[in-house]
Amino acid sequence: MAAKYDVVVVGSGNAGLSAAVSCVVQGKKTLLIEKHNLPGGVASSFSRGRFEFDPSVHEICDVGAGDDLGHVGLIMEKNGIDVDWVTVPDCYRCISKYSDGTPMDVTIPAGREAYIDAIEKYVPGSREPLEKFFDLIYEIRLAKVYMFDGTPNDPKYMQKHFPNTLKTCGYDSLSVMKALKIPQKAIDIIGVYWPYLGVPLDEVNFFHFGNMIDMYVTRRAVVPHHTSHEITMTFMNRFYELGGEAWFNCRAEEFLFDGDKICGVRTSMGDVECDQVLANINPHIIYANMMPKELVPEREKKLYAARKNNLSTRFSMIYFALNKSCEELGLTDYCVFFAGTADSRKEYENLKSIDNDYNILISYNNIIPDASPEGTCVISFTKLFSDGKDWSEMTAEEYYKAKDKMIEKCIEDVKKNLNIDITPYIEEVEVATPMTFARYLGTPEGTPYGFEVKSWDGVIARMTDIEADFNIKGLRHIGAGSFFGDGYSSTWINGDMTAGLACADLEEGGK
Amino acid sequence: MSKVKLKNYGLKDIMYFTNKPKEREKRIEAASSQKSGAVFKVNEKAAERHPEQQEFVIEKITDRGEGVKSYTLRKKDGTNPAFFRAGQYVVIRQEIDGKLIARPVSISSGPVETLDGTIEVTVKLVPDGFLSKYIIANWKVGDEVKTSGPQGLFYYEGFRDEKKVVACSGGSGITPILSMAKAIASGDEDFELTVLYGSKNRNEILFADEFAEVMAKTDKVKLVNVLSEEEAEGYESGFITADLIKKYAGDDKYSLFASGPQVMYEFLDKETDRLGLDLKHYRKEIFGSVKQPWTLPGYPAEAKDKVFNLKVKMCNKEYEIPCNANENMLVALERAGIAGPNRCRGGVCGWCRSRLISGEVFIPELTDRRRGADKKYGYIHPCASFAISDCEIEVPNNK
Repeated sequence: MAAKYDVVVVGSGNAGLSAAVSCVVQGKKTLLIEKHNLPGGVASSFSRGRFEFDPSVHEICDVGAGDDLGHVGLIMEKNGIDVDWVTVPDCYRCISKYSDGTPMDVTIPAGREAYIDAIEKYVPGSREPLEKFFDLIYEIRLAKVYMFDGTPNDPKYMQKHFPNTLKTCGYDSLSVMKALKIPQKAIDIIGVYWPYLGVPLDEVNFFHFGNMIDMYVTRRAVVPHHTSHEITMTFMNRFYELGGEAWFNCRAEEFLFDGDKICGVRTSMGDVECDQVLANINPHIIYANMMPKELVPEREKKLYAARKNNLSTRFSMIYFALNKSCEELGLTDYCVFFAGTADSRKEYENLKSIDNDYNILISYNNIIPDASPEGTCVISFTKLFSDGKDWSEMTAEEYYKAKDKMIEKCIEDVKKNLNIDITPYIEEVEVATPMTFARYLGTPEGTPYGFEVKSWDGVIARMTDIEADFNIKGLRHIGAGSFFGDGYSSTWINGDMTAGLACADLEEGGK
Repeated sequence: MSKVKLKNYGLKDIMYFTNKPKEREKRIEAASSQKSGAVFKVNEKAAERHPEQQEFVIEKITDRGEGVKSYTLRKKDGTNPAFFRAGQYVVIRQEIDGKLIARPVSISSGPVETLDGTIEVTVKLVPDGFLSKYIIANWKVGDEVKTSGPQGLFYYEGFRDEKKVVACSGGSGITPILSMAKAIASGDEDFELTVLYGSKNRNEILFADEFAEVMAKTDKVKLVNVLSEEEAEGYESGFITADLIKKYAGDDKYSLFASGPQVMYEFLDKETDRLGLDLKHYRKEIFGSVKQPWTLPGYPAEAKDKVFNLKVKMCNKEYEIPCNANENMLVALERAGIAGPNRCRGGVCGWCRSRLISGEVFIPELTDRRRGADKKYGYIHPCASFAISDCEIEVPNNK
């Protein structure tokens, strides 16, 4: 073996970047390995003609600004990551149907007061329960800070200071919102964000959902000014600045063990010796291909058998560059949800088919005027699927047809819902499907996420089981399938927290 | 602190919360530890559709004259080559004297032929070329050769392009256009294609029989030969000018597809300006790497003909190699046998993306297609960058 590292981070997606920077900030000799030729995973960009597209970002939560930094903002500050963020003013416009079947077309601004005012306007009688709702999610914010600050939790302190959090956090989100007497139509409006967690309201834990609303509405979301590739490059720049080493186009093939403790990584560039490994790889893949079968804990085999049908949402993204500005076209909103129904349970079932109606339109130039050359704009559509079966059963020709059909559907959605025909202005169009994500990310069935945060496997339950899960000495799992859930913010936090645990282990071992 | 008054769920709620992990444990306990293995069908299909590498056997060689040969390739393992969009290319990866050389070559067959197990690539002998010379001289029937999967964005896109396409082509740039014509004949593509094909004289015209065959099958394809150094009955003469394009485009809306050498684009860019074509309607195939960078604006004259020292960091290895200022930096890496991933050779695809640690490089604007943040943080595409001082770069692994 050649060089020896304190930590090897495998996979330079969001969690890997966050973990790698956290390790070098803590003074550890760190190697970052990436199988692709560039870092970032989904946090990247690609060019078509004179346009640059963000492959994945809609909006990022928990960053905050100024004195009110969120968890992500604090991590970025601690680790010296300075990204050029743009704040998103409105939560969304949603064109759909309420659960009772009546039509919905609402535009909801961010910020507690404006948000409540808007919902009260659409659904009179919502104000009082919504005030309670926001008090509750604020308490959850404080409880979360207390719970995840790295010190032991005192149940008595929690009962005294976070009584309502404890009362509600065991329940699904629909039950809690009903208990707060929020009118169903207002629940439908609040619930528009449900796909961000991938599990319908009657199943997703309220602690998780409520906290998400707090992060997106109260604290407001942000987007990177120059695509998510800029975020990635900011991380990489900081990593190099502090002496980190990164190998690209280099595949981690196998984890090496000394007894039952990890001692290195076999890579396509040879063996690398290390004390700790942070693996930003779905555990399904680690256990199947990357370590001796006899060292995979029995409980882990069972956990992944229990999770085998619970892979998180898969996506198709349809990207357009138009040779007219948003203003000229009349595309005034940053984010528009087109949903067949606001009933999250029904919609979740619909998402099993690739022919589902669900679609999210993002018009970047509305908040980033220079997202494309003057007189043009870039927009994207996101379609969700809760099952990947359809994609794997297509022939090549059927696959191309399916992509074309999705493009048609996007054009149709804009025509039908916004009365705008973008057809004459298409200068570039590109489609990414679960196959595309599988190809570039290598994640199971092409999900950029991890495992559904179903009621039995929610973030709270995972956090409680943190010692029991992934119990392999020196090898920790970071990333979308890990304990903190999936998405940009969650995986940055996860990477940083897990790096902290690995560094603590190193220091305990005298390093 | 909070003013929320919730109906008091009481002790039951705390129990419910603390019982969650127990429910999780129960689920895990109930699962089988026997099933192992990670088979993901979408991933398998993606790998099949976008193979990193395809291993072929040369089945047939067709001499097209004028130093141009076509090679019919059949997959070594008997499976079909990856399906492609007419107009795409593959990268040939050939080891020469122990060094891996990669070059993009156009596919001259139609997509439907992949279903019969073959693709045909066409190589033109370039006088100062490296790989083309080797291939023309050495490749023979029965040899095993390697290529990438299909690459490139030069294909018909029905949602963007007009139903009528005028293709302007010169020399061996005709190959992707031929593939499109074949795709129209087989029904894989549906548009009207008028090809303006520029050659010096009649002897230089490639693929005349193939086009005749296509036009016998479909009236959607028309071929107009444009001769620059000969006048002949039934041929246009001169260059492919705005007037000529207008003459064959007629009054309908059309998209212009261009595929040819660097000089053709320089000429055509001015003509398309005269036509008032916007970028949506003017698509260009990548023409490969910029030659003679010293002729371009902004190039520091003193750098020409110099050989600089290039320090290269590749994972845990370090090299010091000579870097000829007149050649792009990827060539220096190739000459040293340490070139990493690369595909388009024209600054577009980004596969050779590398970190410039120190030194100065010249990046022709024409082929500067780097990501915005890459420009900000000093990353380069070596295939479209020329050293103008000693440099240090960090490159992706070449294995």
